[in-house]
Amino acid sequence: MSDTNAANPLVSARGLCKGYGKGRARVEVLRGLDLHVNKGEFLAVMGPSGCGKSTLLHVLGLMTAPDAGSVCFDGVAAPARAGGRTAIRRDRIGFVFQRFNLIGVLSARANVAISLRVRGRRDDGLAGELFERLGLSEVAARKPGQLSIGEQQRVAVVRALAHRPDLLLADEPTGNLDSANATGLLDVFREINRQGQTIVMITHSPEAAQAAGRIVCMRDGKLFDHNP
Amino acid sequence: MAYLPLANILHHKLRTALSVLGIGIGICMLVTLTGLTRGSLFDSATRWEQIDADLLIYPDVWDKDVVTMAGVGVEDKLGQNILARHGDLVERVVPVFLWRLEMAGQVHLSAGVDAADWSMLTRLEAPGDGRLFAPRASWKQYKLDLEKRQFPAGRPEEAAIETDRPGDLEEYGWTEMVIDSRLARAGKYRVGQFVTTANHRWKIVGIAPAGGMARIYLPRQIAQHLFGNSEALSTMFFVKLRPGVDAETARRALAAPRVQVAPISQYRSALKEKWGVMFLYVDAVNALALLIAFLFIMITLHTMVLERTREIAILKANGAGAFFLVRQVLAESFLLTTSGTAVGLALSAAARWAINTYRPLLTVTIEWQWIVTAAAAGAAGALLSAMYPAWRAARVDMTEALTFE
Ligand SMILES: Nc1ncnc2c1ncn2[C@@H]1O[C@H](COP(=O)(O)OP(=O)(O)OP(=O)(O)O)[C@@H](O)[C@H]1O
Ligand SMILES: [Mg+2]
Repeated sequence: MSDTNAANPLVSARGLCKGYGKGRARVEVLRGLDLHVNKGEFLAVMGPSGCGKSTLLHVLGLMTAPDAGSVCFDGVAAPARAGGRTAIRRDRIGFVFQRFNLIGVLSARANVAISLRVRGRRDDGLAGELFERLGLSEVAARKPGQLSIGEQQRVAVVRALAHRPDLLLADEPTGNLDSANATGLLDVFREINRQGQTIVMITHSPEAAQAAGRIVCMRDGKLFDHNP
Repeated sequence: MAYLPLANILHHKLRTALSVLGIGIGICMLVTLTGLTRGSLFDSATRWEQIDADLLIYPDVWDKDVVTMAGVGVEDKLGQNILARHGDLVERVVPVFLWRLEMAGQVHLSAGVDAADWSMLTRLEAPGDGRLFAPRASWKQYKLDLEKRQFPAGRPEEAAIETDRPGDLEEYGWTEMVIDSRLARAGKYRVGQFVTTANHRWKIVGIAPAGGMARIYLPRQIAQHLFGNSEALSTMFFVKLRPGVDAETARRALAAPRVQVAPISQYRSALKEKWGVMFLYVDAVNALALLIAFLFIMITLHTMVLERTREIAILKANGAGAFFLVRQVLAESFLLTTSGTAVGLALSAAARWAINTYRPLLTVTIEWQWIVTAAAAGAAGALLSAMYPAWRAARVDMTEALTFE
């Protein structure tokens, strides 16, 4: 199981169940899943397409409630009140969506800026630094529709990191990147991880997973330690 | 620019333009319709109220029909008697002979008034353009000349009617009229021009700035002579009281058989009474215009929020609370309705200009009251119609909105 090192978990999920649909059309995606992510850990989640990795990340990101089971954040059960969960999302989590989910009417830079504003944070220069490091300075003024998929993906990463979250949840952040860009991104991840930020990253790429300190695999709605 | 409501509005240019125009047209309709109907209807009341008199004396059979009154009504002698008997209360009694004349394709109230009394009806010394009609002397001359002629029998005025030949009156300079500037604009009339109406040729000798009691002024005795078959009967009197005299006291003191003595304000209330039913229709149309503008705002904002589902879910995923989300929606709707209102007011001003220019006889009074009503309706529309969508926005399911497209 994956909770061998549960000394100081930032997020811990116990007995998570989550399915979609009703009656005969119902699919059970998470089936009693347990996961503990320690503070300062860099965890990679792998697994076949459609096995429920994104679903798990949404549950961990407190964006959707599990049908059963519990999620604790920093030792406290996720609040039942929507406002409480919102506060954790706002202040402590950064999320990179598999489909980026940038706001189409805003420029790349404004997408990051509004995320900071939503969180009540001031721009301390990190966003600009990340734009630069990820090779986005030239395109920061463009709207998402005028960016390549890979560029959009990196903008989504900047947005998730600009407020220095305690926990970064990234859904296949290198999925659309060439190897040079992927390496650059993973360097950033490793660096912020060294500085103490916790990362959960979904990936299909074994090379990307190597950047993580621990790899888990998802099968049948549960997680297993990865045995290479 | 990270101000999302503005970014959205600027991004969807066509939709924004259409919404703003739609709201603007609704508001323009409201402002212009009310301004036009009320303005045109009450224009005459406003012009009567500026008359430099306190009381009206007119035959009591007319009662509420004072607004349509014309022709013979009171003996001129009565006016002289009132002045003689109530000199302590009354400063001036001015007889006016009212008739309706068609000019520039419309029937207008015309006032037969003595040149010396003209300023009471208009508060002007003289027409700005041209001059006032010829003094009464020529009338006396005409009668003298008439008497010198040999007529078989009858009173001179009857004879005059029988023997009026085209050009007869012109010779004496009596078929003169003064019109107001709006009628002049509507009919493109100039000073010195001849017009034919009521079977007579008239010479326009003066054009006065609009705002006086009537659109057309005639020499009173000529009007009496031509339309009243009598030189001793006018339509009504305007009474100016001495300074400090209470109008109600005077009204009671001047009461006489078969006449009604009323304050000038009677005209407006009679007008209101006469057209009250019509205002019901007008107001219904206005209410409809308002309702349509309102529905338009609601539909616009509703679709706007539906369009924003994904965006709102993104903001929520980034930790935006209900308050922030509701504010986005309200701000966007507020921007739309504010610009819509501004456009509406601009359109109203343009409509007013166009009406004044191309239909100078219609009056559009754009009153602050209606502008404020329209703006308030717009703001209320924005608030009300954004409320439900905003509430819905705050409840968007993130996973659903962000997983599927
Ligand atoms: N909102 C939803 N309604 C119904 N079914 C859903 C919904 N979201 C996901 N699913 C289903 O749940 C299963 C898990 O989906 P999920 O997106 O978590 O998979 P994944 O592991 O992230 O796949 P991939 O690697 O392709 O991204 C899939 O079979 C998917 O069809
Ligand atoms: Mg996925």
